[in-house]
Amino acid sequence: MGHYILVLLDENRLERIKGSDVENNIKAMFGGELKCIEVNVPEELSQKILKTFDTARIDARGAITDLPVAFMREFFNQIAEKKSIGPEVIEATLAKADQIKELAAKESEYLPPPDIQI
Amino acid sequence: MSSLLIERPLPHGGRLVERVVRDKEVAKKMIKGCPSYDIKPTLHYETGVPVRNVYREIMSICYGFFSPVEGSMTQAEVERILKERRLLNEWIFPFPLVFDISKEDYKKLGVTKGDRLVLNLKGKPFAILDIEEIWEIDNLEEFAHRVFGTPEDNPEVVKHKFDKKHPGWVIYRSHQPVVLAGKYTIINEPKFRPPFDRFWFPPRKCRAKFDELGWRTAIAHQTRNVPHVGHEFLMKNAAYTGDIEPCHGILVNAIIGVKRRGDYPDETIVEAQEAVSTAGYIKPERRLVSLCLWDMRYGNPLESLLHAIIRQNMGCTHHMFGRDHAAVGEYYDMWATQILWTKGIPSFGFDKAPTDVPYGVHIRPQNMREFAYCPVCKEMAYSETCGHKREGISGSLLRGMVAEGVQPPSVILRPEVYKVVVKWWKHFGYPFCNEKYVRDKERDLEVDLEDL
Repeated sequence: MGHYILVLLDENRLERIKGSDVENNIKAMFGGELKCIEVNVPEELSQKILKTFDTARIDARGAITDLPVAFMREFFNQIAEKKSIGPEVIEATLAKADQIKELAAKESEYLPPPDIQI
Repeated sequence: MSSLLIERPLPHGGRLVERVVRDKEVAKKMIKGCPSYDIKPTLHYETGVPVRNVYREIMSICYGFFSPVEGSMTQAEVERILKERRLLNEWIFPFPLVFDISKEDYKKLGVTKGDRLVLNLKGKPFAILDIEEIWEIDNLEEFAHRVFGTPEDNPEVVKHKFDKKHPGWVIYRSHQPVVLAGKYTIINEPKFRPPFDRFWFPPRKCRAKFDELGWRTAIAHQTRNVPHVGHEFLMKNAAYTGDIEPCHGILVNAIIGVKRRGDYPDETIVEAQEAVSTAGYIKPERRLVSLCLWDMRYGNPLESLLHAIIRQNMGCTHHMFGRDHAAVGEYYDMWATQILWTKGIPSFGFDKAPTDVPYGVHIRPQNMREFAYCPVCKEMAYSETCGHKREGISGSLLRGMVAEGVQPPSVILRPEVYKVVVKWWKHFGYPFCNEKYVRDKERDLEVDLEDL
């Protein structure tokens, strides 16, 4: 059974992938109100993710969940930079595992708030 | 007037308890020469993390939320509750409430029956306890099991034996063994800090507020969460219950107490609930956000009984109950609360619903199922009405979105509610309760006290 990572997209993220092939993979939830991408993860990389990040797990739908927020941010950054959802974005994210782990350790105490007008 | 009109029920027990002395000179005379004791948080019996502060119980008792309870319970009263969920005066009540101290503190204090003990909070005199009895809890683990029930003794609803993963069980397991029983009286009214101050509607004030708003009928909504649109629809639709017209108002009552990592901060919860009204999704004239101090026991059907008592005391005519009400884990049947309010749970002392037993409650339960988004109806739809496949709003999905800084769409979280989440996120540096928040909250509590 293949695994995947669900990447949520808000207006800001949609803007960053606008015009790329990644747009063709956007799925809609909640009547189109929430956009997301399901990024397929090859088995070898799934195992590597699970081994690298001890909070990660595979849920009943086959989704890899409970990844550090720092991982998810970097993962989307790689998608936006490479305009791709291929294995190379997973590999590029995993290449920054040490940096992500460092951020993940801090993120149990601090998470940068979104820059929105209150 | 129609005979079908429902009137506001009397408080549980017939009258509101209000044990608050507001005259400082009188208070000073009351405590002159009395021994005093600094209230300590109850610490987890293994980890030492704060799990309860008895000051919250003293507040809720003295301001009448738990009427007719007036103080720390005697051994006979606790026994009666554990056997039949009734106070010695016959009125039903779900949980033991005691002022517990360690044997060492008891020896140091040297108090006996008949003594008046001054209870200090944050270094200031706060309340008195007139000691009527001193007794010991023999076996704290057994005590904790008896509070929540066991699969053997309560097979109708208890599915798994309680253990240290259950935060309510941990609270009772972490009690100290010596109980000082007797009536409490607050002699120095604490002042709530913002934003909690504007949500403080103790029963007498709440009933007066209902009068001011012209509410004859009001339905209570229990919360410990930031409201998503599913909650909003639950409130709106449950409020259609009433008598010959929908309920005049919705009372949102947030239980404020000790937090666990990963919960939303209490400041976020009360202001996010308020935002639903101020933004007009349910107009403020029909919705009031309030709070009650209590360290949640997560006792599902038992907790629902306490909620019913609190909200009846606050003046509500109805109370909505959903799946897994005030539950954590799978210790109870997910519909245990609705079973209690439909036919009773005999092993807990209720061979009928708590509204139908002698000395029971008079608030009317409204058992609700679930709301989820239907992409065909293009709206939040009720599980028992909509025939399409719906998309549920899970807490983990929302939390994941919030943590990633992805603004949830307005169909699942109102933008005004999200702004409140971000406001307190900026304040605390974190959207949820982290270790620092939990530690600071139990140090600072929700109130400050003036000198007496």
